[in-house]
Amino acid sequence: MIPFWHSVFAFFFAVGLFSAPSLCLALDSKDHWAFQPVKKPLIISGAKPIDALVEKKLRANGLIHSKAADRLTLVRRLYLVMHGLPPTPEQVEEFINDSAPDAYTRLVEKVLSSQRYGERWASHWLDLVRFGETTGFETNRERPNAWHYRDWVIDALNFDKPYDEFIREQLAGDALGEEIGTGFLVAGPNDIVKGQDPKLGKMQRMNELDDMINATGTTFLGLTTGCARCHDHKFDPITQKDYYSMQAIFAGVSHGDKPMELSEKIKREIEQFKTEIARLKVSLSKFIPKSDEGLREPVSSRYNVEKFQAKEAKIVRFIIERTNSSQPCIDELEVFSGKDNIALARVGAKATSSGDFVHPFHKLDHINDGLYGNSKSWIAAGMTGWVQIEFPKVKRIDRIEWARDREGQFNDRIAVKYRIEVSLDSINWIQVASSSDRKSYQRSNTGKQQYEFSKFPHKEAKQGQKMLIELDSIEKRLVALQNQNKVYAGSFSEPGSTYLLYRGDPDAKRDEVAPDAISAFTSLKLSSSEPEQRRRLALADWIANPDNPLTARVLVNRLWQFHFGDGIVGTPSDFGVNGMAPTHPELLDWLAVEFMDNDWSIKHIHRLILNSKTWKQSSRPKFDAMKIDAASRLLWRYPTRRLAAESIRDSVVMVSGLLNLKSGGPGFNGFQVQMENVRHFFPKKSYGFPDWRRMIYMTKVRQEQESVFGVFDCPDASQSVPKRSRSTTPLQALNLLNSTFLMQQADLFSDRLKKDAGSNTVDQVNRAFSLCFNRFPTPAEVQDSSLFIESEGLSQFTRALLNTNEFVFIP
Amino acid sequence: MNSFLNRRHFLKHSGKGLGGIALASLLSRDGLLASDKPIRPEIESTKPFSARNPHFLPAAKNVVVIFCSGACSHLDTFDYKPELVKRHGQPMPGGDKLKTFQGEQGNLIKSPWGFKPRGQTGKMISDLVPQLGELADEICFIHSLTGKTNTHGPGENFMSTGYTLDGFPSMGAWVTWALGSENEELPAYVAIPDPRGTPQSSVNNWGPGFLPAAFQGTDFNATKPLRNLVRPHGVNAKTDLATRKFLQRLNEQHLEKFPGDTELAARISSYELAARMQLSVPEVSDLSTENNATMKMYGADDVSNPIKSAFAKNCILARRLLEKGVRFVQLFNGAYQTGGEGVSNWDGHKVLQEQYAKHGPVLDQPAAALIRDLKQRGLLDDTLVVWCTEFGRMPTFQKGASGRDHNPDGFTAWLAGAGVKRGYSYGATDSFGWKAEQNISSVYDLHATILHLLGLNHERLTFYHNGFERRLTDVHGNVIHDVLS
Repeated sequence: MIPFWHSVFAFFFAVGLFSAPSLCLALDSKDHWAFQPVKKPLIISGAKPIDALVEKKLRANGLIHSKAADRLTLVRRLYLVMHGLPPTPEQVEEFINDSAPDAYTRLVEKVLSSQRYGERWASHWLDLVRFGETTGFETNRERPNAWHYRDWVIDALNFDKPYDEFIREQLAGDALGEEIGTGFLVAGPNDIVKGQDPKLGKMQRMNELDDMINATGTTFLGLTTGCARCHDHKFDPITQKDYYSMQAIFAGVSHGDKPMELSEKIKREIEQFKTEIARLKVSLSKFIPKSDEGLREPVSSRYNVEKFQAKEAKIVRFIIERTNSSQPCIDELEVFSGKDNIALARVGAKATSSGDFVHPFHKLDHINDGLYGNSKSWIAAGMTGWVQIEFPKVKRIDRIEWARDREGQFNDRIAVKYRIEVSLDSINWIQVASSSDRKSYQRSNTGKQQYEFSKFPHKEAKQGQKMLIELDSIEKRLVALQNQNKVYAGSFSEPGSTYLLYRGDPDAKRDEVAPDAISAFTSLKLSSSEPEQRRRLALADWIANPDNPLTARVLVNRLWQFHFGDGIVGTPSDFGVNGMAPTHPELLDWLAVEFMDNDWSIKHIHRLILNSKTWKQSSRPKFDAMKIDAASRLLWRYPTRRLAAESIRDSVVMVSGLLNLKSGGPGFNGFQVQMENVRHFFPKKSYGFPDWRRMIYMTKVRQEQESVFGVFDCPDASQSVPKRSRSTTPLQALNLLNSTFLMQQADLFSDRLKKDAGSNTVDQVNRAFSLCFNRFPTPAEVQDSSLFIESEGLSQFTRALLNTNEFVFIP
Repeated sequence: MNSFLNRRHFLKHSGKGLGGIALASLLSRDGLLASDKPIRPEIESTKPFSARNPHFLPAAKNVVVIFCSGACSHLDTFDYKPELVKRHGQPMPGGDKLKTFQGEQGNLIKSPWGFKPRGQTGKMISDLVPQLGELADEICFIHSLTGKTNTHGPGENFMSTGYTLDGFPSMGAWVTWALGSENEELPAYVAIPDPRGTPQSSVNNWGPGFLPAAFQGTDFNATKPLRNLVRPHGVNAKTDLATRKFLQRLNEQHLEKFPGDTELAARISSYELAARMQLSVPEVSDLSTENNATMKMYGADDVSNPIKSAFAKNCILARRLLEKGVRFVQLFNGAYQTGGEGVSNWDGHKVLQEQYAKHGPVLDQPAAALIRDLKQRGLLDDTLVVWCTEFGRMPTFQKGASGRDHNPDGFTAWLAGAGVKRGYSYGATDSFGWKAEQNISSVYDLHATILHLLGLNHERLTFYHNGFERRLTDVHGNVIHDVLS
């Protein structure tokens, strides 16, 4: 009859230890404990402060610490908590054989200095900041350049970036030489479905800003600000005016990619690739087939070339008469005079059109900005229309290249019926190309330029094929290189005025407000015309400040929670009046002071916790203690718990021997994606080495659950998750027992056992137990396992081991 | 018993578990506790889906929600507007320069389908849904619903979760968190996607939000079985059983080292439950035991319209699940996956008549048969049927198009079955069907009413998350007492 949902426990205590909300109204919330300055408590001398303060509370409740955990348990726990992976048998052995008194302390240092540490703990942070690599909402489109932020967080943790800097760079990294940091501001979902209804647009913008305000408030301050959007906060000292003052801080921030300065080396490479591509395309153009009927290949979404006899032209006009769907889109119109694209705006060409679809991704400027892809494209206002490029002076042209989306993400909005005309005076026009000599467009078109080699002599054809392979490869590398200069870290512009909105209604503007933080705590003394970057810097300086009573407390509490399953404050993102009181207030403050006195070092707090008796004690339940504190909130034992989804997957792949430790860079895809306007995600049918990277590198798709591990309480990045729920369901069991992923791993694991331990069953069992559980099997287990293997096979044995409680629980 | 008012004291005395909370819900059910405090369900670790007490005596035990994805036009189905017929082709008063989701509006356009009086009540219902029309005497219409958004994704979120944003628990998750299920061997909450694919807001419609993941909807339909349910390819039944027994032995030996640890015990139970589901889910999904008359009644035998027959099978599956005591079933009609803008869903912007002529028959006979079948089996006494869609559509056609734009300011949903009035209409839109005018009601009110019918107080069914006591109904919603029988 003891509740097992963790959150249920949270309630139990929330209700039990803290008075009900309605009673709090009478309190002056400014007296609330969390809003008072952090004070270094007096510590009982002689003991380590963490242990002394935990013990004080234990004694008060008639409890004591458990005895120390054995060394096998300790090393396993340390690796599972800090790396999200079990230690290898070799790592275990090394520790067990190290009899020096500081063996454990040195092991802690070793674990903290591993790249694996950042890869595990970054996932806690990414949950909190609702980091996703799709937009969410109905379209759920990719954000292909969002991954930089994940790597940035992993690096920050591994290099132990001081937390105050970490905060500043996430709010205003653009001012501090850390461009990627502001990925935090735009890590959340945003609705990109833009209608014609003006109110819808305003509401969407308000929601985007709301997401930034909430993320900042909950992540760094542990305060809920959202309800002040419509009225003063009921419990905490946050007025509606404060809310809109904070909105003014972020009013210049929009979702989007941000260009980063590319290194000179990369820039040179890009130029080389472009020259090479142009050369190859010219050489390959003779292989473009005139089909049997004498028609050219149909229009393609990715690339089209129009060749004609050289003509003098001042203006080139591209007229779209029909598309395959919706209003036409062109990502770049390129007009060549020899090998030079003379249509580029930066060489003085000017674009005009019949009318433009209004959207941040789609602008007339994008037609000749030299950038490819949907997010840098032009869309016409109507279902038909034209776009034209005027050169600074008359040029001789012989080739035009254009596409819907050279990045190959989209197959809609393709101009399937078009003509291209040129003019010297904008009065007399001559047609130079059109779709009339192309085969008709079919949906199944692969979207690539087709070449036909068979009609050419063998040697020539072979040369052509070689060139085509080279072209494909260079194009891919070019896109990858070009994308390195984009990072999803927001775009910044000077905003207009911000107003308080009555009941949050964007059409009910009230007084203008200046950018500011929460007035009960501070005033940033900014004017309404303050440059927007200075606004964010000022807010960051107030948050990342030793005088801020919340910042350090909130962070050390989060660290404590990820070590022990629960925080000292059980509501990790709510330190307000309505949140739970700390179980160990002095300990919380002591840790906060230690943190700030040691240059906001997160690793310093890890060391203190990991070396404490409290962390190192046994996790074995004690009957009497369970009666007093079943949830082990007072830490009379180390609380066991199930591993998180990522740690389970990573551990499985690790013991099967195929964990791919490639760090950083774009993620791998956990789904098969159907590229419709609204993206659809299907489970993968097969897995290979790229899929066996650590799960933190799985491209984080909002809303969708990864088909095997998603049900292990994996957040969907729609909302900030400071603490995952921990449920146990039959669907989890079915996925681990029957999924293709797990069965493949079980087979690979059994292959590994044969390789590592040979054909002797007992050796296989011993090896399997030390890989999975970091211990040797008991004689009874050896016997049972051996008999089982003999009757059902080694893969069934490994399938069972990967499903055990011992494998997926922190001991 | 007034010690409940002192929660600290109360909880201290129920220290062995949360047994006291069940007591609290019993007390409140009997009206002994006048309080607005949250009522938390008591969830047993090893039996998360076992039935739990509601807050008060419920009218309905189970729910089936028929969700027409894409925004099904009230004006072409259930909301008859003679004035719209009269003023067909004229500009809409007050609609001058109006810009809705896709842009400017043309003139008022009557429905391409005629309306006829139906049943004893003579309720006017369109010829697009004649068989549902015949059930008019069973149905309680709410014609005055209003929403908060005119975009599909947020609109579906709103109808299914009470919030336009992503990340909030679906109604089914709230209900099964609160009440568990009458059948622990089947998922407590099943979402049945349309044969054509998933709706616009996809899994958000049945997501757990911040509630424990156990309470999310499990999605499968008559043609797409539950994932990972069957034993792996190449593993025979005997071996599979032996492996699970071996696993159980390993887990039980391990548990001996952690006596009393409930999370470990719960995980062992979850494997037992999974094994039972491996038997019970295929059984409930196996429609071969249905007789020909039933298949015919639903239209599941209609070879000329494979989408209709597939949806009909989903309707039969819904009935079978309800019959087995599944608490909450969501039945989707219309999908975005295989074609938005009205191709596979109800989003008739451009060529409404052509598209609805396809969608009407897919919905009509199967959905009507579901209600009839529930009734003839006596299940309608315990089951609440809800028909809804994310919002309505405009009485005008869009400028330059032959279809209707989005309209969240007045639209229809209906209820039937346990606890609601029969042959009744509540609220009304204006004379063209543009904006709700009489007894204006909100999606929050609809949610509050559904929870009420299940014996749940929507203001006390709360979950603490990131500083808020979250509710399905946010800080809004009133039970629409007028629709209760």
